[in-house]
Amino acid sequence: MTRHWAAVLAALVLALVGASCGEDAPHHPAAGSTLYATLRDPDGDGALSPAPGEPLLDRGGSPRPVQTLVTFAQIADAHVRDEESAARVPFLDRLGPPLHSTFRPQEALTLHVLRATVDALNALHPAAVVQTGDLADNAQRNELVQAMTVLRGGTVRPDSGAPGASGPQLASNPDPFFYRPDVDAPRHPGMLAAAQRPFRSPGLRAPLHATLGNHDVLVQGELAPDARTQALAVGDRAVVAVDPALVEGVSRPVTTDAIARVLGTGRAERVAPDAERRQVSHEQARRLTGARTVEAFDIGPIRALALDVTRPEGGSGGRVSAAQLAWLDAQLIAAADRPVVVFTHQPLDASEGGAAALALLAAHPNVLAAVAGHTHRNAVRRGPGGVWLITTASLTDFPSQARFFQLVRTEGGGLALETFMVDHGAGPRGLAGIARGLAFLDAQGGRPNGFLGRREDRNVRLYRSP
Amino acid sequence: VRRDRRSALAGLGVLAAALVVGVCATVAFALSTGFDRSARAADLPDVVVRFDAARRADVDARLRTLPNVVARAYRFEATGVGLRAGDETTERGAVQVVAARGRHGYAVVDGRDLRPGRARETVVEQGVARAWGLGVGDRVRVGRLGRLRIAGVARSPDNVAFPLASAARVYVGEGLVRARFGGGELPVDQALLWLADRERTDVTLAQARSQAYGIHGISFLTRGSVEALIGHAAGVVVGLLVAFAVVALGAAGVMLGTAAHADVRRRLPGTAVRRALGFGRGRLARDAAARAARMTLPAAAAGLALGWLLAIGPTRSLLAILNEAPPGAAVLPLLAACLAAIVALVVGAATWPAWRATAGAPAALLRGGELAGRTGRRRTWAPRPPSANPLGLGVRLVSARRARFAGTVAVVAACGAVVLLMLALASLLERLRDDPATLGKRYALTLSAGEDALPAIRSVEGVEAAAPRWVLTAADASSLGEALEVVAFRGDHTAFEAPPLAEGRRLRGDGEAEVGLGLADALGLAPGGILALQLPAGEEVRFRVVGVVRALDDEGRIAYVRPARLGAAVAAGPPAIAVRLEPGASRTTVEARLRERGFEPTVVAGAAGRDDTLLGLLGDVLRVVAGAVGLVLLYALAQALSLTASERGRTLALLRTLGAGPGTVALVLAGAGAALVLPAALLAVALEGVVLAPVVADLAAGYADLPLRASAGQAVLVTAGLLGLASLAAAWVAWRLGRIPLATAMRERP
Repeated sequence: MTRHWAAVLAALVLALVGASCGEDAPHHPAAGSTLYATLRDPDGDGALSPAPGEPLLDRGGSPRPVQTLVTFAQIADAHVRDEESAARVPFLDRLGPPLHSTFRPQEALTLHVLRATVDALNALHPAAVVQTGDLADNAQRNELVQAMTVLRGGTVRPDSGAPGASGPQLASNPDPFFYRPDVDAPRHPGMLAAAQRPFRSPGLRAPLHATLGNHDVLVQGELAPDARTQALAVGDRAVVAVDPALVEGVSRPVTTDAIARVLGTGRAERVAPDAERRQVSHEQARRLTGARTVEAFDIGPIRALALDVTRPEGGSGGRVSAAQLAWLDAQLIAAADRPVVVFTHQPLDASEGGAAALALLAAHPNVLAAVAGHTHRNAVRRGPGGVWLITTASLTDFPSQARFFQLVRTEGGGLALETFMVDHGAGPRGLAGIARGLAFLDAQGGRPNGFLGRREDRNVRLYRSP
Repeated sequence: VRRDRRSALAGLGVLAAALVVGVCATVAFALSTGFDRSARAADLPDVVVRFDAARRADVDARLRTLPNVVARAYRFEATGVGLRAGDETTERGAVQVVAARGRHGYAVVDGRDLRPGRARETVVEQGVARAWGLGVGDRVRVGRLGRLRIAGVARSPDNVAFPLASAARVYVGEGLVRARFGGGELPVDQALLWLADRERTDVTLAQARSQAYGIHGISFLTRGSVEALIGHAAGVVVGLLVAFAVVALGAAGVMLGTAAHADVRRRLPGTAVRRALGFGRGRLARDAAARAARMTLPAAAAGLALGWLLAIGPTRSLLAILNEAPPGAAVLPLLAACLAAIVALVVGAATWPAWRATAGAPAALLRGGELAGRTGRRRTWAPRPPSANPLGLGVRLVSARRARFAGTVAVVAACGAVVLLMLALASLLERLRDDPATLGKRYALTLSAGEDALPAIRSVEGVEAAAPRWVLTAADASSLGEALEVVAFRGDHTAFEAPPLAEGRRLRGDGEAEVGLGLADALGLAPGGILALQLPAGEEVRFRVVGVVRALDDEGRIAYVRPARLGAAVAAGPPAIAVRLEPGASRTTVEARLRERGFEPTVVAGAAGRDDTLLGLLGDVLRVVAGAVGLVLLYALAQALSLTASERGRTLALLRTLGAGPGTVALVLAGAGAALVLPAALLAVALEGVVLAPVVADLAAGYADLPLRASAGQAVLVTAGLLGLASLAAAWVAWRLGRIPLATAMRERP
């Protein structure tokens, strides 16, 4: 292996450090609104079981709702992953944070989870669905194409490279740090093969709007694709193991040099190349997903404003440009008294320039909320001026939920934004349910990291009050 | 008076059989539930994770993320610590440093647990306390911690007790250790995990493994593994004891049922008279049931109590060795159930024939009919000229009542089969203790030496072959709680270790494995399958299973492989050298020759446990059961002969009138006894060989071949014993007959 190749891989790995893009999901056929039923592990045995729903909690007020004006849904961080790709470094997962999302036990099932989520949302009949980014995991074309096929409808073909399952989860892999569904607990024999088989998706039965996430356009959500990363992605060689002693010797915080040194000693194997694994540019990602740098659209009475705050040059954090600020200001003025909801991938309060954007929102009492993904964690917090800052769990990590919104008129003529989480069902061949179960067990995933959030981060009725 | 005597005799039989039941039920219950009861009492963790000493925070950061874990605790264990109390001393002390608060995973059986703080106190394991005669308040010197007051005595079934376990274990608090050696953070090398659902242990362990990177020397010990390890220490003795007890319980049931059946037949004439007088069938059956219950209840209760009393002492000793709790009152429900079962059995066996017998016309019963509905000519002995051969006459007398004859033969056969089984057990245990070949081992000695010593070892006179033998404990890579022993020889392992092949073939290559049947059953392995092993250093290796062997060692949870794939696991230390002797060579002599050359050979042990106490206990139980079975036998034979003498009293009186002396009468009765015991002996041999031996072998060690069939010599011995008992019973009955005046005897009617 050349030093050059190792350096590229090292950069890819390092990209994960700042990505903070989580994991997981449980399993049970229960699906839909968590207002009525959801899945929990009350006895702490690591198995999810049906649990009572969580009614809405009032936050910021208490006038009774009298009329639902419109509904819409949010899908966040599906992280559809080509787990057979050559441009991966799953063997670094064992090092723990920040490298822990290089491998997920349920990573072969991301498309199935997305499909199950489509079914769950369709059953709730939203007026629109907003996909807030990180639809793909590694900015690969095949990831985005497959994910969009699920969302728009059609036959999905999860397999890449040579026909059939491949990768570190095969039972033939003697590396015990990977979950191998055919032999490891909980056993799911045949899961990998089933995951590669084509399936049909009905697609969303509502208009789809999208913003881009860092993983949609950056390699591992961090690094801008270039000729070297492209060569890796479509190439026929993959690093499958590294010297354990060297890996163990990597000191914290992990540096590019350290990873390059480790990868330079790695054992590479020949894999079946696949041109569909090529990484997409920003422009290509927008074409594939329908996302734009900025987009204003209506969801019933709501004026929705979506901003792409990813950094084309690389880096997992968000950035609101001056042009976007100006556009936002203009849109807010144009919206007049209409209720406004803003969508981004990275939360505004954690993005460069985000404070200025939030200040604009705070100045307009008709702005109800700023909705984002990226953190993989359910959270509902008050922002400047009483604007609600909402982040939503990922589909890939536990709790593997989407978020549903309802704009309601309240007694006295005011407005409130209701939101609740949506569980997906078992999905094609039960694989989405399996994915959620595995995600729940994942010791590096959303369960131990508290991605489910607090009770008041999930099903709430929000009143804008300064 | 005579009826009372008969009832007393029948009661004696019930008491003897109930005694067998009491002994066997107590032993079987106490041993088979000992681990679970003790684990519950001690709050034994579901998983013990062992690793090289590490910072608690580092380990906890990983373990707190595991699913299915409801509590965790940490320990540090220092081994090789000198312990001294009075005249007792050991350099193999194991000091477990525990947090004063939280769960400890042991039960304090005397005194109290450690208190937070720096108090100079310790809790000692009950094996140490018992072996050294220590109690609460005594002092023990614990290495550099100095003299500590014993605050409590603890029992934890995560290992067998000292001295069966070589290490003497004591617990001390973190505060004391920090105060003595400095206030810094203490490392930990064990984590105790309590799970929400033990059935999902494998799921937790799979996550633990994925989180274990960077923690060295990690291994997982589940409750199941602990139980298996303790079972290994106890050898096959416990399994045999439990299996024998279960089988003896069944045999006792046969004895009771058959005896009760015979007793009611004896009463049939009286029943016939009452039937003729107009008593209804139901009334007669109820009377029979009430009579049987009155006789059985006290006798069975006494027998069970006596059996419990006899068994509980040795059982308690064995459980203490295994670090397990005595059953206490927990066995009472079982004994109560046994009492109910015995009464039900005897009452049922007495009532049913009474009910059936009274189905026909009273006249038929008065004519001597036994069971209703029988057709054809009844064969009864009619007065004929006495035979010239008193023995032959006895045979004719006793066999005239065919049903009773068959019942008595059945009882005697059941007893004989149990006795044969006991003898076979004794032989097997002796072989297991002394003869490693029983385990399929063809080497007699092992010694610790490098491979460079092989030429010197092989050159010793009497040594036929010597080869390095590696043994390591691994876990199944998929079910990490499934511990197994991996044995590796470089070449053909069957030259040194060759348990019989049950399936497939012997291994031929580095990537192949033979697995024990116990392991194959546990993991669902068969030839063609893959054995994936998690080695102690954390790496995973795989072998293709080519054969399944019936290995007795380690309960069959064993795998034979070649060492090439074991990598660091076998490179770490020098292997043991297995030494096979030339045919006829004296083990002692070769041992001495090896010592002369500077080696320290160890005699290869068998599988009957590592402590003579275990064998002693088995001996105790067998003796008690043997005594009880002897009583049952004597009862059955005496009852049969007594009945025969009573029914045929006029015939025997006629003999005496014709000049026959007491010796002749005794010979007649001896002939009757022989007629009972000889077919019973044949039946016993068949019963033991075809039913009891396979059942016990399967219950005790289904993963191996246990040779439990009685030998010809043992069969002859049992037959002779039965004849002896028959003679004893005949002499007693003859003595009783001799005391009855002739005139009275001539009037006697059955």
